[in-house]
Amino acid sequence: MAASLSRLPITGCLKLCHRVVDGLCGQEPPHRGDYSATWSLEEWMELINSLTALFRMVVGNNSSDEEMLAELVDLDSGHAQALLSVLRAREEEIHHALLERTISISCATLQDFDWQLKLALSSDKISSLHTPLLSLNLDVRENGHLQPVTVEMNREELNTLISSLEAANKVVLQLK
Amino acid sequence: MRFRFCGDLDCPDWVLAEISTLAKISSVKMKLLCAQVLKDLLGEGIDYDKVAKLTADAKFESGDIKASVAVLSFILSSAAKHDVDSESLSSELQQLGLPKAGVEGKNVQFDLEEHTTGLCKSYEDKHSALQDKLRETSLRLGQLEDVSWRVDYTLSSSELREVNEPAIQLKLQLNGAESGASETKVVSVSAEKFRVLLAELKQGQTMMNALQ
Repeated sequence: MAASLSRLPITGCLKLCHRVVDGLCGQEPPHRGDYSATWSLEEWMELINSLTALFRMVVGNNSSDEEMLAELVDLDSGHAQALLSVLRAREEEIHHALLERTISISCATLQDFDWQLKLALSSDKISSLHTPLLSLNLDVRENGHLQPVTVEMNREELNTLISSLEAANKVVLQLK
Repeated sequence: MRFRFCGDLDCPDWVLAEISTLAKISSVKMKLLCAQVLKDLLGEGIDYDKVAKLTADAKFESGDIKASVAVLSFILSSAAKHDVDSESLSSELQQLGLPKAGVEGKNVQFDLEEHTTGLCKSYEDKHSALQDKLRETSLRLGQLEDVSWRVDYTLSSSELREVNEPAIQLKLQLNGAESGASETKVVSVSAEKFRVLLAELKQGQTMMNALQ
């Protein structure tokens, strides 16, 4: 598995491992095209999967350096140390990504949101409406699909929402 | 000729035509009819039996009844829509030929109250209620009806042995923009996103309050 990493010099190995962590944290993963001379497609897939699994396992279980090195017995110590250094440097980021994955175990999660404050001036019903409206757009990830949820709130509705969220926030703050 | 209660446009022909129908009923009955139409506009429901009784002595046929309800409905809602005060409305209606007093000879009652005054008095009383109703029924894209929440504390997961992070479950009850039907959305939010969401909503609230 990870043993085939020794086909790369240590600097190249560091670079690849960082890219693997990038992929794990939702950024751009390494391109297979850059490494097609070093590994066959099958080896590549196996390597990337095992590296990702290793990072997840070590951070997820909060393993010590020794425990991680024990997983890398078939790799020479130089490469193993390089892997370890990448892991320790990016530990916090990986932890964060795993937290995100934990949250997304729920059936619908909030991915992103945007809001917009508008002043409605006039409508077909009344010529001078002058009502401020806050429209809130929630991107909800549900079963892997992004679903937009839009709600337009007037002052009262926004106040209701905020006081409700405030109450929840109070509890969250007490937990910290 | 342009009228303020028509939004500075010409008065529609059908309104012009039906104003003469209105002139056939006594001003007292007219005021009562206005009350019914206002009830309808305010969403309280109109009592058609009462309307029929009110228009009985003017020998209205069902077409006349419909026309008078429609024309009153138009005048009252259009005046409220364009925020016309009752005095201006009164003078504009008189220009359109709604009699100041009950038509002589047709009504035997001694009606001293004026048609327009009756209408405009009813309008004045309900002016702000009407405008509130119009504001309320103006187009809205999705309305928030109810919010429920629950704070969870996640201890462990298959991804991470020790999580120890709070997570918030939010249930939003919305009145959908297109369907008009109520829909419920349940979404879980991480503590971090939740904090940002709340802070940004408060920012929006501050700006909204500054608009007043």
